[in-house]
Amino acid sequence: MTNKKNKAVSDIQHLSSIDKIIHEPARLSIMTRLYVVESADFLFMMRQTGLTFGNLSAHMSKLEEAGYIEIIKEFIGKKPHTMLKLTDKGRRAFDDYRKKMKQFFNEI
Amino acid sequence: MNEKIELKKIEKKAWTSYFQDGLIDIFIGCIVIMFALAPILSESLGDFWSSFVFLPFWALVYLLVLLAKKYVVTPRIGIVKFGVVRKKKMIRFNLIIFIVLVVGFILGLVSFIDFNVPGWIHLARFGLIVLITSSVAAYFLDYPRLLLYGILFDLSLIIGEWLWVNKGVPHHGYPITFGITSAIIIIIGLIVFVRLLQNNPLPKKEE
Repeated sequence: MTNKKNKAVSDIQHLSSIDKIIHEPARLSIMTRLYVVESADFLFMMRQTGLTFGNLSAHMSKLEEAGYIEIIKEFIGKKPHTMLKLTDKGRRAFDDYRKKMKQFFNEI
Repeated sequence: MNEKIELKKIEKKAWTSYFQDGLIDIFIGCIVIMFALAPILSESLGDFWSSFVFLPFWALVYLLVLLAKKYVVTPRIGIVKFGVVRKKKMIRFNLIIFIVLVVGFILGLVSFIDFNVPGWIHLARFGLIVLITSSVAAYFLDYPRLLLYGILFDLSLIIGEWLWVNKGVPHHGYPITFGITSAIIIIIGLIVFVRLLQNNPLPKKEE
């Protein structure tokens, strides 16, 4: 009984240490897609994730606030253009998230 | 392990959705079309002058493809810069293609000097180089259709020669065989391109 209780407590502790910012499905989708490329623009991310403009914007802001992504404003010709890039902190956070999730599912 | 595979899948999806827009297929089809027209043009213009028709034609098609990519495809699917893994893969791909082309060039030069080499050996070498190039490209660019195009190209060579030898079809049968192959490739390219336009309409102003 005590062993079971200890395991449940350990599971809860494990779950609570999971990064909530990344864990949200839309943000996880964004992070995953940015993880596999160097950078991508807003439109490409919209097409890849299937999120609307407003939705993507909102999640991007949260990820930027957390320091996980970098929003790079640049000009292509005369048109302003926004590129999105995972920061080193974001990359580490994503690696850590994957590790923790894998470990959690292995323990179940 | 499972997650690694998923990441690979996502990277591959990003790559294919950016790279496989049908324009490359159309460009390849236009290269193949010249193999259909080459024997006819060579007959009327001669080998030397007919080559001056091919190069501007390919350059024009290439320019149109670049413009379509910039003004039609990119505004619909966006821009992405790929990561280290994909860049390394592209370096390996370019290196292998360079080696294959150098070997092909040397073999071509040798057979140009040695006139005793039978004609079918030239064809076999050329066919083999096309097949190796298309296989390498299909693998490194995650573009399986390129292998199909390589096979279709070689079949055009073989069937064309067979038509010429056995049925007396003029110009080695190339206008027929390469004409059909180029039509197939261009139609595939157009289907992919039109589907991309349908699935990715231009974003609204706010986007």
